[in-house]
Amino acid sequence: MISLVRYLAVDVFRGQRYLAPLLVFLGVMGMLFSSDAGQPLEAYSGSSALLYPIAAWMAVVVATSEDVVRREITVVSAGGWSRVLTAAALVSVLLALAMALLAAVWPVVTNPHPYTAGDFFVGLAAHTGCALLGVGVGLMFARPVFDSIGRTVLAVFAVVVLTYPLGRATPLGWVLDALGHNRASLSLLGTVAVGVALVSAAVVAGVRRA
Amino acid sequence: MVLLDQVSKRYGRGPWVLRDLTLEVSGLTVLTGANGTGKSTLLKIAAGVLKPTSGRVSRPASIGYVPERFPSDVKMSASAYLAHMGRIRRAAANDVLERLGFVGSMTAPMSELSKGNAQKVALAQAFLASDVLVLDEPWTGLDASAAAELVSLLEERTALVSDHEGHLASATRVDLAGGHVTIDLSRVSALDALEALEGVRSVQARGSSVRVVVAPDRSDQVLAEALRLGCSVRSVR
Repeated sequence: MISLVRYLAVDVFRGQRYLAPLLVFLGVMGMLFSSDAGQPLEAYSGSSALLYPIAAWMAVVVATSEDVVRREITVVSAGGWSRVLTAAALVSVLLALAMALLAAVWPVVTNPHPYTAGDFFVGLAAHTGCALLGVGVGLMFARPVFDSIGRTVLAVFAVVVLTYPLGRATPLGWVLDALGHNRASLSLLGTVAVGVALVSAAVVAGVRRA
Repeated sequence: MVLLDQVSKRYGRGPWVLRDLTLEVSGLTVLTGANGTGKSTLLKIAAGVLKPTSGRVSRPASIGYVPERFPSDVKMSASAYLAHMGRIRRAAANDVLERLGFVGSMTAPMSELSKGNAQKVALAQAFLASDVLVLDEPWTGLDASAAAELVSLLEERTALVSDHEGHLASATRVDLAGGHVTIDLSRVSALDALEALEGVRSVQARGSSVRVVVAPDRSDQVLAEALRLGCSVRSVR
């Protein structure tokens, strides 16, 4: 599995399509924290909300990095769709976790308010949850569940856009509500759990659809 | 050995591409048949890329697969690609590239390789497999000497190969029924019953009639069953 994860990760980096979501992420992070972003936890709410669509976008990039034919060869070489889709999910999660860590560290360095270790870990959990939700949504609508990139983009965009107005009815809303009120909450861990479940469900859906 | 037992395949609600096909691959086996008879679909099912709609497939753990068309836009170099595939399979490097006469750059992106050299890389990764090879038109883009070398490489292996050009004269041949018979019937309500008949590839309602496309060797049985269902035959082509 490690060899497969490494191969897919190398392929994503050579393809350079990861640059678009990464640059948008870095650019918006720069804007969010260019001045006083507020209380420690409150400051994390903007970057958590940002990480959700960025992680979904990145997951779509990972899932579609190989073209259909090369993916078929990889599936046969690796011994089946389940191994390849699990590896693709792991690459997406690793990239999302790296961005979550960066997003949690960023305001600690740039925000004028002092951060405790507790604040940092709450922020890390919040970003991890949002990132996993994004990865789950991205993989759920990417190949092989949806064959066409157009439908993938449309579905992911629709789900992401519809998630925000639903407020506390979604796990993303739990995170944003807790951070917006500058408080830690067990719902952050609930979001992480839902994110893990969503990523797993996306892998299962892909294996069934393939 | 690869065993396909009563395998059928259709894409969504489309026509049947394969119906009740049973095949055992225990040596070098060549798949022939006209365009559209389901050779590539069968190879994908044998390799594990596609699931059959019905039927069972048993296959060994290590299968090498070459698709009909290797992608031309791969950014990875040939050496990196083969190294990754070797690690994924936990297989040692082979000398297939050298034997096929690869002359391109191993370190440049594969998108810069000629069609023939890219095909040699695709073949080299497939030969990393220790058990069975499943190759779809593997001679595509190869020059004469590489094609001859591929024949000698294949003669040592268990493989299922689609071959339009007759490179493997001594191999076991399996011909997927070429052609079809089109039967136009007066409209019947039992479309599902017709569709379920062996050899039927598609059933389409067309206004007041039904068009049934069927394998040539099953047309008599399908006609008899259609008459038994009470419909009249308008034409058979």
